[in-house]
Amino acid sequence: MDGAVKRNGLAQAASGQARTDSGDPTERSSAGVGLVRRLASLRLTLALIVLLGVGVAFAYLREGARTWPLVVPLILLAINLMAAVMTNGVFRRQTALLVFHLALVVLLLLVAAGRLTYLNGYVGVTEDVPFEGELSESDRGPLHAGALSGVRFVNRGFHIDYAPGLQREATRNQVAWQGSDGRWHDELIGDQKPLVVSGYRFYTTFNKGFAPTFRWRDTHGYVVRGSVQLPPYPLKEYSQAAEWSPPGSTLSIWVLLDIDEIILDPAEHTSFRLPEHYKLVVRIGRERHEMHPGDSLQTADGTLEFEGLRNWMGYRVFYDWTLPWLLAACAVAVVSLAAHFWRKFTARPWDA
Amino acid sequence: MEQELQVLWVAVTAYVFAGVVAVVGVVLGKRPERSVLALMLAGLALQTLSIGLRWDRLGHGPFITMFEILCSNVWSLMTAYTLVYWRIPRIRASAAIVMPLMFIMLGWLMVAHPGEGHYPPTYNTPWLYIHIGLGKVFLGAVLVAVGLSCVILLRHAGIGLQRLAQLPASAQLDELAFRCMAIGLIFHTLMLIAGAIWAQDAWGRYWAWDPLETWAFITWLTVAFTIHARLAYRLSPPVHAGLVLAVFVTAFLTFFGVPFISATPHQGAV
Repeated sequence: MDGAVKRNGLAQAASGQARTDSGDPTERSSAGVGLVRRLASLRLTLALIVLLGVGVAFAYLREGARTWPLVVPLILLAINLMAAVMTNGVFRRQTALLVFHLALVVLLLLVAAGRLTYLNGYVGVTEDVPFEGELSESDRGPLHAGALSGVRFVNRGFHIDYAPGLQREATRNQVAWQGSDGRWHDELIGDQKPLVVSGYRFYTTFNKGFAPTFRWRDTHGYVVRGSVQLPPYPLKEYSQAAEWSPPGSTLSIWVLLDIDEIILDPAEHTSFRLPEHYKLVVRIGRERHEMHPGDSLQTADGTLEFEGLRNWMGYRVFYDWTLPWLLAACAVAVVSLAAHFWRKFTARPWDA
Repeated sequence: MEQELQVLWVAVTAYVFAGVVAVVGVVLGKRPERSVLALMLAGLALQTLSIGLRWDRLGHGPFITMFEILCSNVWSLMTAYTLVYWRIPRIRASAAIVMPLMFIMLGWLMVAHPGEGHYPPTYNTPWLYIHIGLGKVFLGAVLVAVGLSCVILLRHAGIGLQRLAQLPASAQLDELAFRCMAIGLIFHTLMLIAGAIWAQDAWGRYWAWDPLETWAFITWLTVAFTIHARLAYRLSPPVHAGLVLAVFVTAFLTFFGVPFISATPHQGAV
């Protein structure tokens, strides 16, 4: 029935052109069917698999050119498959094989949809300072429409052990996050377990470090708190310095954390922790100051008070609504492929 | 470590004897199948013990160093082939081809440094075991297909026609090799899916074009190409056998070459 409808459709399309061309409508129809049959060729499938292989190699070697070398052969393979489904009786007789190939097309469409709506990003969150939807860096698909600005969570601190040789072991990060009903929830996340809020997945990374926290009072008496995330520790152990401007101020404050102890001893089993013996070197213009927790510093723009050190954790942020559907399509594909081969191989022994 | 290595070398010796007996049996036209099977099983039992001792000592499976990866793959490939050797008696003479192929990996294993490696926290997930296990089934299926394909190619080249006569006709071997490739395609697909789930949990992305992922996908394409080519062109057994060997070479490079030239987090654990 479907085949008849498709054949009629092709015939009608052909007859429209037949008025201007001199050909016979029946000939045009058979030419259209012939074209679809050629598009359905299994030999074309082979050529397109080779083309996809070349595209994969190209995409691997040229990071900046990952779209078209893959999209073109994949679209052509999808056309080839749809043509085969229309014309090749094998697909109608072998449902499992048809389902497998259709699942591959669905997979392809889902990946395309995912690329249009994804978000990849990164953010460092200081302990007990709420994340308020702003990322340090991100790239996103042109149709990304997530609600990241409404995501709220707090890094409540983390625990990371190190084996001798500074070999990082499991990361356990306690977080609190706000649900859509406004209630807060506690959760422990880590290496294999992201925080998932509103479809956004926050993964702990190996980036973490120290964040001096300040209280800034400007000349009008307005008080704000801020923290400076120093470079990752122990990755950049010897360059624990950063520049910072208090909110609403143009003052440039350079800070250096001078740690006077060994935090992570490479010879021992140890844990990441805040330093106990340290001083904070603060440079404003040509003035240099050493600060300890509770110390204040008077500047022309206001008063800077050093409250102490906190940890910060770097999170990789990922959003792709297609993930569960991709998994479902994969499951359908592999089950149907297995069913197809099972039926095929149990029907006849290999040495028959 | 001494004890586990000693047990391993005894296991390797058993495998080598199994291979030698299988080759001599085919050359002399004898069928020492029970001896070969017994030696393979003895080797497997000893190697299982060796891997278990190391696992217990280090607290993690054999997934990190080249030594561990080779060792676990020798174990899984021998398990796959021993199972086939036991269950399909008609192709037992193919051991004369498959076991010498295994000698290459055994030799490599003997010169690999048995030192320990760091077990990253991202490897601490059941998905790693599932991913690796599925990959091992894929490689095992391809190994059997390679053994059969080598027989087909030797016959085609007119080598050992008389000695290989105890095996079924090439058309039947070709059909069995095709079925192994089909099983391989299913398990390779499952391996990619499990790997993507693991990567999503471990690194926050299911696919990132890292060298191992890319080469694993290229291997999947070579398997898909081989299966489609056999259907599209009704390939003769020697041509199909050639394609099976090409798949094996690609898979071998992917599993044993790429992980050790890659500096990305996905170092390769199969």
